Amino acid sequence: MEIEIISFGQIAEFINHQKIEVDGIADTDAFKRYLEDRFPTLKGMKYKLALNKNIVQQNTEIKNQATIAIMPPFSGG
Amino acid sequence: MSEKNIKNIFVNGPIAPAFIADSIAKHSSKTAIGGHSIFMGQVRKDEINGKFVSAIAYTAYEELALEKMYQIREEIFEKYPLKCMHIYHSLGTVKAGEICLFVFTSSAHRKPAIAACSEVVDRLKVELPIWGKEIFEDESHQWKENS
Repeated sequence: MEIEIISFGQIAEFINHQKIEVDGIADTDAFKRYLEDRFPTLKGMKYKLALNKNIVQQNTEIKNQATIAIMPPFSGG
Repeated sequence: MSEKNIKNIFVNGPIAPAFIADSIAKHSSKTAIGGHSIFMGQVRKDEINGKFVSAIAYTAYEELALEKMYQIREEIFEKYPLKCMHIYHSLGTVKAGEICLFVFTSSAHRKPAIAACSEVVDRLKVELPIWGKEIFEDESHQWKENS
């Protein structure tokens, strides 16, 4: 299936906007494992995901053509 | 679900003092208002490891931020008897000394305006997906963290 990845803030410095074609990523927990494996820098960082513009609070199923945002801690204001 | 009136809060670059003055002036026709509360965030020239912050460059996940701001706005209007509320946040580069956030609440009497203004500022710092990159005078940078 296809997942679009977008990233922000400090994380955008090492994860580019990209589409990936992957199988076996059924939910957001699995996606985090995939990400941290591919981008080890992420392991030591605090971040949140947003799946199709909803902030992920608990493990959530990922469907084909999902857009997932990777977001470091917010620092507006 | 009823149609949502999602308002834009983002301004490119700094928020001009004249814009703020104009925003205040526009309320003279709203004669049920008896108190305004205004918060302005200004970029601070912090010293970090001997280097001074010269500007902050803001980016946001705009669609998610506006959706979240809509929810906050609804909750604040539910909680406080406000006449109106205006929120503006900069995107892009804002130099030290310039305004990057403007929150303006109005009510018949002062207390709801003051409480709502304070609560909105607290909530938007925690809940809106906005990031500030602190740029130093030598052009190096670090990512801001809200304390």
